[in-house]
Amino acid sequence: MKLTRRELALGTIAAATIPAQARAEAEPIRIGWLAALTGPLASPSIGFDRGVRFATDEINAKGGINGRKIELVVRDTQGDPTKAVNATQEVISRFKVHAIWGPTNSGELLATTPIMARAKVPSLVAGVVNSLIDPTKYPNAFRVTPSNIQWDAAVRNYTIEKVKAKKVAVVADATGYGTAALADSVAGFKAANIEVVYSATIDPAQPDVSPDILRMKNAGADAIVAWTVSSGLAARLMNARAEAGWDVPIVGHPAMGTGEIGKLVTKPANWDKVYIIGYKSCSFDDAGKLPARTQAFVDAAKGKFPLNDTSLWWVVSGVDSIRLIAEAVEKTGSSDADKIIGYWNTLTNWPGLYGTYSFSTTEHNGFHTDEIVMQRANSQHDGAFALAPGYA
Amino acid sequence: MLAAILAAGLAVGATYALIGITYNLMFSASRVMSFTAGQLGMAGGVLGALFIARLGLPVIPGFILALAGCALIGVVTEYVAVRPVLKALDQHLYVLSTLGLALMIQQFTAIEWSTEPQPFPRLLGLSTTGPWDEKFWLPILACAVAVGGLEYLYRHTLIGRAFLAIAEDNFAARALGLPERNLRIASFALAGVVGGLAGFASGELLLAFFANGAMLNFLGFVPVALGGLGNNRGAVIGGLALGLFQQAANFIVGGVFASVAVFTVFILVLLLRPQGLFGAPVARRV
Repeated sequence: MKLTRRELALGTIAAATIPAQARAEAEPIRIGWLAALTGPLASPSIGFDRGVRFATDEINAKGGINGRKIELVVRDTQGDPTKAVNATQEVISRFKVHAIWGPTNSGELLATTPIMARAKVPSLVAGVVNSLIDPTKYPNAFRVTPSNIQWDAAVRNYTIEKVKAKKVAVVADATGYGTAALADSVAGFKAANIEVVYSATIDPAQPDVSPDILRMKNAGADAIVAWTVSSGLAARLMNARAEAGWDVPIVGHPAMGTGEIGKLVTKPANWDKVYIIGYKSCSFDDAGKLPARTQAFVDAAKGKFPLNDTSLWWVVSGVDSIRLIAEAVEKTGSSDADKIIGYWNTLTNWPGLYGTYSFSTTEHNGFHTDEIVMQRANSQHDGAFALAPGYA
Repeated sequence: MLAAILAAGLAVGATYALIGITYNLMFSASRVMSFTAGQLGMAGGVLGALFIARLGLPVIPGFILALAGCALIGVVTEYVAVRPVLKALDQHLYVLSTLGLALMIQQFTAIEWSTEPQPFPRLLGLSTTGPWDEKFWLPILACAVAVGGLEYLYRHTLIGRAFLAIAEDNFAARALGLPERNLRIASFALAGVVGGLAGFASGELLLAFFANGAMLNFLGFVPVALGGLGNNRGAVIGGLALGLFQQAANFIVGGVFASVAVFTVFILVLLLRPQGLFGAPVARRV
């Protein structure tokens, strides 16, 4: 068809007179999903990604939100802060996304959070570092996972209330993370009037940790609190505990529940009485059942993607994030940044799959601390763990 | 408690001593400090776990293959990182070439094996525990066998005497018609076997972990410096002393302060006796 100059002019006038509302309805809701899909930090993002795509497909299959489809703008950051910064700028400036989910590592988030705040893009945060959330500096950023402070409190509360420890030994690996976590943990126990009889950072390559275990035992510790992401160190602590004929519980970081540990303990029993941070929504109760809401999701997801090679909480956290953005657009009828942020600020006890979230204009750490529980480290199947003793 | 410190201290000490001997073997044949020594130890552990735990070979063939693999790495070191820089020994280019090769071995292992420590199989499957566990006495036994074997080689065999000859005076040995190049290759293969033995015997203690290479490189060098370069007996005594001291420091001061204690003592010894505890000052023509 040949287009004459007159027709073009008429068309332009016609397009300009269509109400802005109608045009916006046709426009998809663009969500920037910045994920470390490859590289050494990829495993959480691969889990999150499954949830993100599941929720997106589910919403789009029902016709979208107010007639608008969700469009994911996915960028692989490889866990590298430099690439994450570039990806953030790209999705904001070039794709003009309405909201951002990710990046999912604290190191990347430290670099990208100020950029998102400058552009006032609503963003959901899945990093644990405390300073990432500040409603005054970053009014656009909302945390949908627990912070370090919440993890620390959950471990401390379990050790004091359920293990009933009066004296604790606190250890961590000699990394930047471990050193910081050790200091916070020791300060927390002291503030709760619990005696810290031993505290130390241990080199993850130290071949034999029996001297450390002996010192903890001689000091009369009732529990060992361990902050390490090193499976070698964690397994050595468990083996040395067994060799010393000592059976106090080890409580701490979720990395002590990875499958690698199972290969490194000299006896399967050495992995008993190790309790790791987990979430109520992704825990089996004594009857071996997941909470009904989670089970319904697992049933719906069955056959769509594997659940046995990733943590379940990563997947359900991805689902929640997309649903949080979608609901804000649906309820306010707009994908404007101010509307989405304003809506999130009004949420109280929003029932997600991963957790219950509450936000306000002054509190953007939305995850409820009481939904963080301890789980048996050696009980993983289908991405979830059994509750530790004491939650009956 | 004392038994635990002694057992673990002597075990890691014997491993450091064997790595020290590996340094010495490569040095005496070529006058090159090869920083692949620790990586040979790491490779011994990783190859042992690969052949026995992952591929399911019986212990003896797995052991032989692991040592053969390490001997091969030793020979490759000679060809790739040592021979090209021999002509310019005084420029110390070997620091760069051997460290570079060591890093390549380490990264290759990280990519192809795992960045997480992997289990090393129980070799004998004895049910003893505590200080008498096989993971503690196997490295000590390996060290004793290696030292005894090397003594026998050097004192009672022709090839051993030839090794000594090129270590003593390279030019004179060549003038006598000794095949210096082949002896050097054989020395590096032998160093590979000793380094591999260190890693294999201590596998149950150190696990099959790519980062062990750097750690052994560092701590295996201490007995060499303490015992005097090229002095195997000094390396054994230095290594055992280091292991015991390190383990005692772990118990007394704990955590990362133990490493500080180890290197404080190391620096003090070198300040007081720069030639090493057992080395003799060498006269140099000026």
